[in-house]
Amino acid sequence: MEELKWLVVDFFQAFAAGLLVGGTYGLMCVGLGIIFGVMRVVNFAHGDFMMLGMYAAYYLVTGFGVLAFLGPYAAPIVGAALAGPIVFVIGWLLHRYLIARVTGARVVSAEAEGHYSQIILTLGIALVLANGGLILFGSTPLSVQTPLSRESWEIGLIFLNQARTIGFLMAVAFAIGLYVFLTRSSLGKALRAAADNPIAAAYVGIDVDRAHRIAFGLGVGITAVAGGLIASSQSFQPYIGFDFVIVMYAGVVLGGMGSILGAFWGGLTIGLVQQMSTLVLPYQLQNTAIFVVFLLIIFFRPQGMFGRVWERT
Amino acid sequence: MLRIRSLNVAYGGLHALTDVSLEVERGQFVAVVGPNGAGKTTLFKTISGVVTPVAGEIRYNEHDLLAVPPAERAQLGIAHVPEGRQVFASMTVMENLEMGAYARNGRARWRESLEMILALFPVLGERRTQLAGTLSGGEQQMLAIGRGLASAPELLMLDEPSMGLAPAVIDAIFERVHQIHKQHGLTILLVEQRVAEALESCDRGYVLETGRVVLEGAHDTLMSNSAVRRAYLGM
Ligand SMILES: Nc1ncnc2c1ncn2[C@@H]1O[C@H](COP(=O)(O)OP(=O)(O)OP(=O)(O)O)[C@@H](O)[C@H]1O
Ligand SMILES: [Mg+2]
Repeated sequence: MEELKWLVVDFFQAFAAGLLVGGTYGLMCVGLGIIFGVMRVVNFAHGDFMMLGMYAAYYLVTGFGVLAFLGPYAAPIVGAALAGPIVFVIGWLLHRYLIARVTGARVVSAEAEGHYSQIILTLGIALVLANGGLILFGSTPLSVQTPLSRESWEIGLIFLNQARTIGFLMAVAFAIGLYVFLTRSSLGKALRAAADNPIAAAYVGIDVDRAHRIAFGLGVGITAVAGGLIASSQSFQPYIGFDFVIVMYAGVVLGGMGSILGAFWGGLTIGLVQQMSTLVLPYQLQNTAIFVVFLLIIFFRPQGMFGRVWERT
Repeated sequence: MLRIRSLNVAYGGLHALTDVSLEVERGQFVAVVGPNGAGKTTLFKTISGVVTPVAGEIRYNEHDLLAVPPAERAQLGIAHVPEGRQVFASMTVMENLEMGAYARNGRARWRESLEMILALFPVLGERRTQLAGTLSGGEQQMLAIGRGLASAPELLMLDEPSMGLAPAVIDAIFERVHQIHKQHGLTILLVEQRVAEALESCDRGYVLETGRVVLEGAHDTLMSNSAVRRAYLGM
């Protein structure tokens, strides 16, 4: 009887851990979802923008300590939020001067060719960012220091790490904020229109290049916030982007391409699978479990779990 | 209102339009007809700025249109309802109409335009929260026209609104287009392969063949032209 009780506790503990991690994965996936799911741009560098978000948060909070005046509790949260606008600007500039050349209305007619050049270009950007990061930031694993990561809330027999819980709540808040922006605001709708049908968007007077730039900046910025949130409960180094890019693509495809909410659920699911798999599998096989679920979904439900099919067949 | 002079457009080395001149006066209904590949869509795309001409001039009111960036052209009161409808498939019917009103004029007159659009196409009101990509072809065409009207345009350009639709639906669409012209006094530039329907009610028509205007004239002139009657009207 006692044994069964601990089995149940373990289960819920893993579930809670999965949920908390999954929230930040969900936010990451939302960022990629805008770029890959909605704009159909293959961005291999997405994980590296997340890495930039982590370092942005780190330098704001710990490194230069600009945010030290906020105290040890608030600073990491504000740091993560500020990583967003910083990486937004980097993404905006990279899109303006490089990525726009292989995306947008001009390459719509040659979709396949567009994708090849996107893959090559963003892979190049990924390598430059990761190795540039190595030169600038060094290879020592870092993390954003917060007393919260050593404290937990107890709910019955379940422990909720405070840093992760707050990260989760922030991630949900950002995802909701972004969703409201994209579905309610005029600019948000214009971004979706420009991604949906660039030529028709130009006909109604939307500046498509500008819309794509903003959407790209927004996508990498949102993922950078997720990175900043994770940075206080996980150590990182400049190559961490490569690990996460897999998680993110799996989440977006799982959630159904083109659906922002779906991308969030996709990321959440990935977090759950990853943590729950530790109940039955050795720790090292966490990511294998993600792939198995990913392949199963692709096999049985290629439109994703939450994908809406809007093309009439 | 719209004055095109000796327009030349080429894709790669291939000429799609050769010395095309065309005029639309305010309040007129002008039709451009011609077979597949004649260059009708190319003409529209050049007016909207998606395609850049090799030579020629397009004047719109007092503007030199070719000097105006494409996204700005919608601000001048030109609405382009593209071939194949091109609705925003992943957005709702209402959002599509709102996007139509993205230009300044459209925003300012959103309420009246919406009322007019829903009166013309009640089905759009019934389906306002449906994703545009799941509408039927006819409904999508109505939405595309509605989106064009939402910008409160001065000039409505329609590229083959009959494409791929059943005859009954085509009749309904043409009827609405006439209504838009007659009741609301909108200037209309229509491209069609369905020559009879298009020429029937136009003020002025152009026949385009392999990128050249082979015939032009007022409604009566064209309808009584023996070449037109033989080639296009089957008489
Ligand atoms: N993007 C393009 N690249 C190369 N050639 C093109 C392109 N678009 C059109 N063309 C060519 O230009 C010519 C005119 O095409 P256009 O689409 O303007 O014809 P259309 O009169 O609209 O025909 P339809 O009635 O079939 O719609 C055709 O020969 C076509 O193959
Ligand atoms: Mg055409």
